[in-house]
Amino acid sequence: MIAIFKELIVSSGLVSLTGGNLIMWLVSFVLIYLAIKKQYEPLLLLPIAFGILVVNLPLTFLMEPEHGLIWFFYHYGIENDIIPPLIFLGLGAMIDFGPLIANPKTLLLGAGAQVGLYVTFFAAILFGFDLREAASIAIIGGADGPTTIYLTSKLAPQLLGATAVSAYAYMALVPIIQPPMMKLLTTDHERKIVMSKLRPVSRLQKICFPIISAMTIMLLVPASAPLISMLMMGNLFKESGVVERLTKASSNELMNIVTIFLGLSVGATMTATTFLNPKVLFIFFLGLFAFIISTASGLLMAKFMNLFLKDKINPLIGAAGVSAVPMAARCVHKVGSEANRRNYLLMHAMGPNVAGVIGTVVAAAILLKNLG
Amino acid sequence: MTDWSKVFEVFGSGIVGVYLVMLLLQILTQLSTRIIDMIESRNQSGDTAVKPPVTDDKGKV
Repeated sequence: MIAIFKELIVSSGLVSLTGGNLIMWLVSFVLIYLAIKKQYEPLLLLPIAFGILVVNLPLTFLMEPEHGLIWFFYHYGIENDIIPPLIFLGLGAMIDFGPLIANPKTLLLGAGAQVGLYVTFFAAILFGFDLREAASIAIIGGADGPTTIYLTSKLAPQLLGATAVSAYAYMALVPIIQPPMMKLLTTDHERKIVMSKLRPVSRLQKICFPIISAMTIMLLVPASAPLISMLMMGNLFKESGVVERLTKASSNELMNIVTIFLGLSVGATMTATTFLNPKVLFIFFLGLFAFIISTASGLLMAKFMNLFLKDKINPLIGAAGVSAVPMAARCVHKVGSEANRRNYLLMHAMGPNVAGVIGTVVAAAILLKNLG
Repeated sequence: MTDWSKVFEVFGSGIVGVYLVMLLLQILTQLSTRIIDMIESRNQSGDTAVKPPVTDDKGKV
């Protein structure tokens, strides 16, 4: 009886437990708490947190190459670039490019916010990261989870867990991180600027936009094709109005399924050996820096544009140039309406917000072209 | 050893590249929306133009 019990203990994972595993359990529990109690990006954080937990249970071999269950999800889904483009398909089927088409100038605000990304690239190199790692960290500033995962899996897969968690964590913290920057970089007078109502956009214009965008962007930056093609196809499904089933499948069923595999796979890359090193702390710090600088560069771009525009824009909408859709736009609206109750900036901010999605993909594709 | 020339190349080409793509997309979006606006307004004015009264064989309305 004792021999059986001894055998059970020896063959169990208990004897292989390390201090690192225990710390990772703690990280997992914190993320589970944030997802459930605070509702910070729960759709992603919950599967990520559970992935961290199960992969740090010794002898489960869930991430063992060619054998582990989650390794197959990771290998076929992320390493082979399947999941991030499918997320973009669903995103495209949900996004409304109407505010962007009504005011195409806001595309420049989407570009403005990407400056922060390149500043962070520079900063990460000064902190001792190599070029490919620096690019993977910098893309966090774009506040776009799937793009961060897509680029990191190609340039620095060893940092995947840290960059992905960092990106989603800061996206969830938009209402805390962005308002102080908005207030710091704009005057009270600027925040009170009321923008005129957006012009109506016809159905034909909405149908043409994804086609023109896909052709333009993919011809200029072919490396963006996997993400842009899926994003624009999803949007074409939605705007065409003739494939309701495909639109629903892309934005609901497919999106939900791939989100499970994405979260679980990303979480499972965070083993104690890969996650518990000083570099990861720097990644979280630089990710926050990237996000702050991207917000600032979007705001400054809007102020710069105002020097030349007859109809002034409210510079707050520049902060929505980071692509955390729609949290950044909501945040702009809130700060704008606090300054002036007559201000209704939500739809105006949605333009740079969706432009930020496009801008981040273009920036990632250029990084991939240069460093891939 | 960091290859600083590569760093500056990535930095410069990245910023310029993103702005160029977005600027071109802005111009094309503005252009396409204007063309579509023109076509739609022409179609609309065609629809609302006064149609000639329908007459029978004897020319009666």
